[in-house]
Amino acid sequence: MDVDNGEGQVQVHLKTKQEHYAVPDVPYAIDGTVTTVELNTFVNALLRQKDGSSDTDFDFLVFDEYLRGRLCDHLREKAISFEDAIEIEYVERFPAPEPQDCLLHDDWVSAVKARGKWILSGCYDNTLNLWTNKGKHILTISGHTAPIKAVDWISLDEETGRFVSTSQDQTAMLWQWNVGSNSVECVSVCKGHERGVDSVSVSPDGLRFATGSWDTMLKVWSAELDDAVEGSSKRMKESGVRTPKITLQGHRESVSAVQWMDATTLLTGSWDHTLKVWDLSLEGIKTEISTNKSIFDASYSKLNRLILTASADKNLRLYDPRTNQGSVVRNTYLGHNAWVQTVMWSTTEEFLFVSGAYDNQNKLWDCRSPKAPLYDLLGHGEKVLDIDWSNPKYIVSGGVDNTVRVFKSRKALAEEAETK
Amino acid sequence: MTKKLALKRRGKDSEPTNEVVASSEASENEEEEEDLLQAVKDPGEDSTDDEGIDQEYHSDSSEELQFESDEEGNYLGRKQSSSAEEDEESSDEEDNEEEESTDGEEVEDEEKDSKSKQTDDKPSGSGAASKKALTAELPKRDSSKPEYQDSDTSDEEDIRNTVGNIPMHWYDEYKHIGYDWDAKKIIKPPQGDQIDEFLRKIEDPDFWRTVKDPLTGQDVRLTDEDIALIKRIVSGRIPNKDHEEYEPWIEWFTSEVEKMPIKNVPDHKRSFLPSVSEKKRVSRMVHALKMGWMKTTEEVEREKQAKRGPKFYMLWETDTSREHMRRIHDPVSAPKRDLPGHAESYNPPPEYLFDAKETKEWLKLKDEPHKRKLHFMPQKFKSLREVPAYSRYLRERFLRCLDLYLCPRAKRVKLNIDAEYLIPKLPSPRDLQPFPTVESMVYRGHTDLVRSVSVEPKGEYLVSGSDDKTVKIWEIATGRCIRTIETDEVVRCVAWCPNPKLSIIAVATGNRLLLVNPKVGDKVLVKKTDDLLAEAPSQDVIESERIKTAVQWSNAEADEQEKGVRVVITHFKPIRQVTWHGRGDYLATVMPEGANRSALIHQLSKRRSQIPFSKSKGLIQFVLFHPVKPCFFVATQHNIRIYDLVKQELVKKLLTNSKWISGMSIHPKGDNLLVSTYDKKMLWFDLDLSTKPYQTMRLHRNAVRSVAFHLRYPLFASGSDDQAVIVSHGMVYNDLLQNPLIVPLKKLQTHEKRDEFGVLDVNWHPVQPWVFSTGADSTIRLYT
Repeated sequence: MDVDNGEGQVQVHLKTKQEHYAVPDVPYAIDGTVTTVELNTFVNALLRQKDGSSDTDFDFLVFDEYLRGRLCDHLREKAISFEDAIEIEYVERFPAPEPQDCLLHDDWVSAVKARGKWILSGCYDNTLNLWTNKGKHILTISGHTAPIKAVDWISLDEETGRFVSTSQDQTAMLWQWNVGSNSVECVSVCKGHERGVDSVSVSPDGLRFATGSWDTMLKVWSAELDDAVEGSSKRMKESGVRTPKITLQGHRESVSAVQWMDATTLLTGSWDHTLKVWDLSLEGIKTEISTNKSIFDASYSKLNRLILTASADKNLRLYDPRTNQGSVVRNTYLGHNAWVQTVMWSTTEEFLFVSGAYDNQNKLWDCRSPKAPLYDLLGHGEKVLDIDWSNPKYIVSGGVDNTVRVFKSRKALAEEAETK
Repeated sequence: MTKKLALKRRGKDSEPTNEVVASSEASENEEEEEDLLQAVKDPGEDSTDDEGIDQEYHSDSSEELQFESDEEGNYLGRKQSSSAEEDEESSDEEDNEEEESTDGEEVEDEEKDSKSKQTDDKPSGSGAASKKALTAELPKRDSSKPEYQDSDTSDEEDIRNTVGNIPMHWYDEYKHIGYDWDAKKIIKPPQGDQIDEFLRKIEDPDFWRTVKDPLTGQDVRLTDEDIALIKRIVSGRIPNKDHEEYEPWIEWFTSEVEKMPIKNVPDHKRSFLPSVSEKKRVSRMVHALKMGWMKTTEEVEREKQAKRGPKFYMLWETDTSREHMRRIHDPVSAPKRDLPGHAESYNPPPEYLFDAKETKEWLKLKDEPHKRKLHFMPQKFKSLREVPAYSRYLRERFLRCLDLYLCPRAKRVKLNIDAEYLIPKLPSPRDLQPFPTVESMVYRGHTDLVRSVSVEPKGEYLVSGSDDKTVKIWEIATGRCIRTIETDEVVRCVAWCPNPKLSIIAVATGNRLLLVNPKVGDKVLVKKTDDLLAEAPSQDVIESERIKTAVQWSNAEADEQEKGVRVVITHFKPIRQVTWHGRGDYLATVMPEGANRSALIHQLSKRRSQIPFSKSKGLIQFVLFHPVKPCFFVATQHNIRIYDLVKQELVKKLLTNSKWISGMSIHPKGDNLLVSTYDKKMLWFDLDLSTKPYQTMRLHRNAVRSVAFHLRYPLFASGSDDQAVIVSHGMVYNDLLQNPLIVPLKKLQTHEKRDEFGVLDVNWHPVQPWVFSTGADSTIRLYT
C-alpha cells in the first residue's frame, strides 16, 4: 500500500487571525504526511518558544477548508501544487459542547426554542412546555388541539415573555407569559391556514411573524398584543382571533421552513424542492432557488448570508442566495446517515451550525469542513425533530424519544464569563 | 558355291525400296552370313572366310543387285560406272586369286586380320570412318554389302589364339604364343637369329611385304590389294577404291518453288485455319506459364542451377520459420522441447550435480513432481559406455507425443464481443434522478403483515391496513402513527380517496367495505365529508334482487362512528380489493369468490351499487378505473379485459401469457398499463400498440405482488416476495411514435422475509419521488 507518498516536504506559512496565538511568519518546511495532531504540537511548541504559555487545541485551515487527515491528501484533492508555499491558517478549536440536561416530556417533542434562560418546547401531546435552562420545568401550556409543530419567541424581558406556537390544528397561537406570576395567557388564535402549520418565524423587530403551512401558503401575522387592524370585526377582536396580514402563495407543497432574513425579507423552504426569498414590501418572490430535493428545513445566517438546507437524502446543502445561479450547491455536508430534519446556523459563530437527523444524532458542523462534522452530539435515543441554537450558550434539541436535550456550548459560556 | 547362292538369295531378299530398310536388312543379312560362316567353318578346315572380303568386291552379285534395283525404276545411268569399276575389281581379284592360290586359306585370313588391324592402327584412323561415310553416301551400292564387314568386333574376328586382346609381349619369354580353340599351345614358329633373318631378307623378294602376325607369331605376306589399300590411305585418298567422288548430284528435294501444286487434290480448308485445339492448348500453356505452374526451359535451367548450389539445413528450422500445414491456416507450431543442458550430460560439471540438500528437496517433491526444478537427478558417469539405459525413455516419448497430439494446432478466432455492446443503450440512472435511493423511514406499529398502503392525495398522511385487523394513519414526515382504527376482520385493502376535496378512506375488511373519515388534514374538509356521508340520499331507483343480495349500504354504528367509520357497505363475500375512480365518487370492489358478481361498482353520492358483468369470465383478481376515460380494467387470472362503462361493451382483451396476475397499475395518462404477476414477471402494455405486452420485465426473483406508477414522475415501482422493491424509470412520451423508455433504476431491499412473503404492496407518494412499501415484516417503509 502506498502509505508514505507524501511527496516530501511542503513549504508552509502558519497564520492566524487570533492575535494572541500568532507565531512568527517564517516559512516552515513540513513533511507532507503531517496531520492535525502533528501540526498542533508544532504550533504549540512555537507558541511555547514565544511566550512559554498554553496548551491550546487548534484546527487548521488549508485554502478555507479544514484539514482532516494528511496534508498531502488534502492538497492532492484540492489540486494544489506541492511546490508553492502553502498558507495554513489555524484557529482555536471550538470546544466540544457538553450534554447538560435532558428534559423529559410526555410525548414527542417536535419544536424547541431557547431564549435567555428559558427553553420553550412544543409537544405532540398538544402542549407547550416551558423550562429553565437548568432543567427545571416551569409550565405546561395546553390550548392547541393537535400536535404542536413549531414555536418561536417573540419577546422576552424580566416580567413577560411572549411566544407563538403553531400546530397541526391549522392555527398559530400567540401567548403571553407572565414570568413573575408564572401564568400564561393566549393572546390570540391565528386562523387562516387550511392545514397544519409547520413552521413559524418571528421578525427581528418582534412585530410580525410568518407561518408556513401544509396548505402551501406563507402567511404573515401581526405579533403585537393588540392587533390594531382597522378592518377586523369587533367579534373577532373579542375572541382573540387573528387573520393574516399578508398571504403569500407561491409554493406548490408544504412550506416546511420560514425564516426572516431581515425586516422585510423572508426565506422559505418547501417540499416542492424550492427555496424562496420573499420581499414583504413587494409581497412577492425576490429570489427562487430550485434544488432537487424536498427541503425539510432551511436556515439563513446573518453573519455569512448563506442558506443551509436539510433534506431526506442525508445531506446538508449550502446555497448562496446572492448569486445568480443560486441553484448551484456551494457545499454538501455528508455526515448523517438518515433523513435530516432540522438545521440551524449559529447566531454568533460565522462558520458553525448544528443539524439534527433521524439517525438520532445532532451534529455540530463548521461550514469549512464538509467531510466531517466537528462534533456529534449524542444523546437522543430516537429521531431528532427540532434543534435550536438561538441562544449561543445552549444547543437544544427535541426528538421522538420525548426528551429535549440541552448541550452547553463551552466557548459561549467562557466568553460570557469573560465579559462579566 | 553355297556362299554365292546365299549371297544371291540375300540379294533377292533385300530388294530395297529405300535406304533405311536396306541397311536394316543388311544387318540381318550379316547375321545370316555369320551363321553361314559358322556352318562352313565347322565341317572342315576349308574356310571360306575370304568370301567375307570377297563379296564386297564381287562384281557378279553387285551386278545382279544393280539390275534388280533398276527394275525398281531407278535410273540406269549407273550401270556403266559400276561396270567400269567391275573391271578394276576384276583385275584386283585376279591378283587376289593369285595370292590365294599361293598362300592358302590361312594366309588369307591373316591378311584380312592384318588389314583390319591396319585400319585400326593407322594414324589416319579416319579411314574406317570415311569408308563408312562413303557407304552412307552410296547407299545403293553398299546395301548389298555387309556394312560392318571389317569392323573390329571380336565376334567376327578369326580367333585362332584365345588369349584375347592382351599385350603379346607377355608371351615373349614363352615358347608358345597363346592357345588355340582346343586349348593347345600355339607354338611360336622357330626364330632364327639375326643372321638367319638377314639371310631370309636377302633371299625373299617379298620380304618388303611380309609382316608378322603378333597373335600367331607367323609371318604374313600382304597381298597387292592390301598394299594398294595402304597406299591409298597413306596418300590420303579415300581408302575405298570403289568410291566415286564425283558422282552426279541428284536433286531429291528440289530447291525450286513450284508454281502449280504437284498434287491434284486441293489443300483442305483446315490447313488454312488456325487449329482450335492447338489454340486451346497454347492458351492453357500460356496460362500455366503465367501462373507459374509451367516453367520455361530457362527457368527450369535456372532452378536446376540454384539446386545445384550448396544446400544448408537449419537444424531447428521451425524456430524461425512458421510451420506450413495443408489443412490448418496459420497453425500454431508445436511446442519445442528444451535443448539439453549441462545437467543432462552424462558427465555434468560438478556444480550441476545435486548436493545433499538439493537431493533431499528433489525427493521431497515426489508427490508433486511438476514442482521440481529438474525432472531427473543429474548423474555422473566416468564414460559414455557406463551410461545405463534410460528408464524414462518410453514414458517421456509418450508424454511428448501426447503433448504434440493434444496441443491446439490452429488459432481459434475468439468472438471478441464486448458485453457492454449487447446491453441496450439505456440512459444512466444518474441522469434519471430524482428517484428513491435510500430507505428513509420505517413506520412501525402493526403487529402482523401489512397488506396495503395508500397515501393521502396531498401527501401528508398515509394509511395502512394490516392482518392485525387494524387500519393505521401515519404522518409521513415523522413516522408518527396518528390514529389506529380497529376492525373486526383482517384488512385486505385500503384506499385513500383520490379526490382532495374528500377525506375518505375505503377499507376492505372481511365482507365489509368501510368508508372511514380519517379526520386529518383540513378540518373543513373533514367536516364536509362527514356531512356528506351522514345522510343517505333518497333512493329513487329500485335495485334488482341480484344487487340487493350482494350488497347492503348502511351507516356505521355509533361505536364505529367514534372511530371514524361513516358508511359500511356489506358484501356477500370477502372483499379482496377496493379501488377508487379518479374523481372519488365511484369505487370498485373485488370479491374473487363472488362468481359472476365478483366485481362491483359503488357510487358514493347515490349510495348505489352496480354489478357490471352478468357472466363471469374467470376468477377476477384485480380491477382498475381508467384515469381519464370511462373504462374499467378487469384482470382475471390470465387475461385483462377492458370494458367501456358507458357503452357497456368489451373494448379490448390483453393477453398476458402469464399464469396468475397479482396486480395492475395504469399510467396517469391512461395509455400504458403495468401488470404484475405471481410468476415473477412484470408486463408493460402499451394500450395503443398491441394486446401483447410491449415489454416483459423479469427483475424480481420471486412473485411480484404489486406495481405502481407515480402520478407525476416517470417512475414505477414493484414489490415482490423476494423482499425487494424495484424502482424503474418508465418514461411515456407524448410523441406517439416513440416507444416508452423503461430503465430499471434501483433495487431497494430492506424488508425482512416472513413466511415466504416479502413486500406486499407498493405505493408512491403523490407528489414526491418517494415510494412506500408494506411488508410481511409488519412494517411500512419509505424510500426517498
